[in-house]
Amino acid sequence: MQGVWQSAVISAAFDVQAHEASYQIPAGPSVIVDPPDGKLPYLPDAAKQAKLNWDERDRDPVGYCHPHGVPRQLVPPFPVEIVQDGDYFAILSETEHSVRVIPLNGRPHRKNYWAWLGDSRGRWEGDTLLVDVTGLNGKTWLDQGGNFLDENEHVVERFTMTAPDRIVYEATVTDPTVYSRPWTLRIPLARQPKSTELIEYDCVEGERDIVHHQNLQRQRAK
Amino acid sequence: MRLRLLWMFVASLAVEAQPGDLRGLWKAEGKAYLDLEAAGVIFDPPSGKIPYLAEARSQSAENYTRRASADPDARCFQPGVPRSTLMPYPFQILQNNRAVYIVYERVHSYRILYLDGKPHNDGLPYAMGDSRAHWDGATLVADVSSFSDQTWLDAAGHHHSDQLHVVERYMRTSPETITYEATIDDPKVFTMPWKFHVTLRRQRGAELTEDECEVDSTGARHHVAPRKNGA
Repeated sequence: MQGVWQSAVISAAFDVQAHEASYQIPAGPSVIVDPPDGKLPYLPDAAKQAKLNWDERDRDPVGYCHPHGVPRQLVPPFPVEIVQDGDYFAILSETEHSVRVIPLNGRPHRKNYWAWLGDSRGRWEGDTLLVDVTGLNGKTWLDQGGNFLDENEHVVERFTMTAPDRIVYEATVTDPTVYSRPWTLRIPLARQPKSTELIEYDCVEGERDIVHHQNLQRQRAK
Repeated sequence: MRLRLLWMFVASLAVEAQPGDLRGLWKAEGKAYLDLEAAGVIFDPPSGKIPYLAEARSQSAENYTRRASADPDARCFQPGVPRSTLMPYPFQILQNNRAVYIVYERVHSYRILYLDGKPHNDGLPYAMGDSRAHWDGATLVADVSSFSDQTWLDAAGHHHSDQLHVVERYMRTSPETITYEATIDDPKVFTMPWKFHVTLRRQRGAELTEDECEVDSTGARHHVAPRKNGA
């Protein structure tokens, strides 16, 4: 799976669920494959929070240059480079220079660890890489539309190469204080040309992603 | 499974085909991160002093005075090259047949040192520069250019311009150590290229910890270790 990859579903960065086009947001299908209706199974209070987040989506943590979290690291249409080296599977994102170096050697999860990208442990199941992610800090969103997670989030990711130029990425998310049941997102990753090089991303933590912010202000002013 | 084993075999061949192995977690010894001159690590020129142009020396003194607020690292910018290597935080080196990858704990920066002989992406203001590397025997030599003028060389305010050019040499001196040597050149700031070296020590059993920046109620930025929400 080594090489540079990119989500093939651009619209999911804006909303992982099916959505119509709006100002500067392309329409797109849901990337949620379970439940079958493609909707995030929010608990009632969490559904209210998601609505509030949508209204105040300039609070998107990525707009403040924080790491995307999981599974959002693989969602936006920006390149990621996968490096496989012995006991490690690394995912380097161009955006926010998010990076996970995932041990495959059976190392146990860290305790009392609450990170933007969590604590990832991988293992092979046939040709599929399974990554178990705990220790997520609950401050991350799933997309620019305010779909969110809290610190009880637990993710199992599956990376399966279905063709030389295609990885199917699946993430099953369990978060019992936000969702009534586990749900699964699926995104195809497309291999980028061999010459693709990640460039340095200049969004410094704590700074505002001004363009992201201004777009919403412009929209509100309408 | 067979496909995976085949890939692992091919990947291991590819890495073994590289003449050197720098893989693992490493951390610099000593106090060069605080002040390159005071740490006594500069061996060329023999005076151990940074050969500043006169005006640049006074800029460095001013940076030192204002370092509490002016240090780009304190404000969570990516520390740059060579400073990232010197810091008292570990970094992990990975290798494959395309490149050598260095993932730094500090602000989760990373660098990709390409081995394919392509030219630099020149003229872009990168904090971490653009790195092109080759093996000189078992020593990795990285040529790094295309810098911004926004990073410092250490916590004492030693600085550079956007003309910075760094040549790094990573020499494995034992299973537990790498000698890291850097040649620093910047015609806008220094009268001549200068060199220092530090020892990098293997951090057995260690793992990188997330280092992220958060903003407090006064708007100041702080490095934050993993902690529970609201803690």
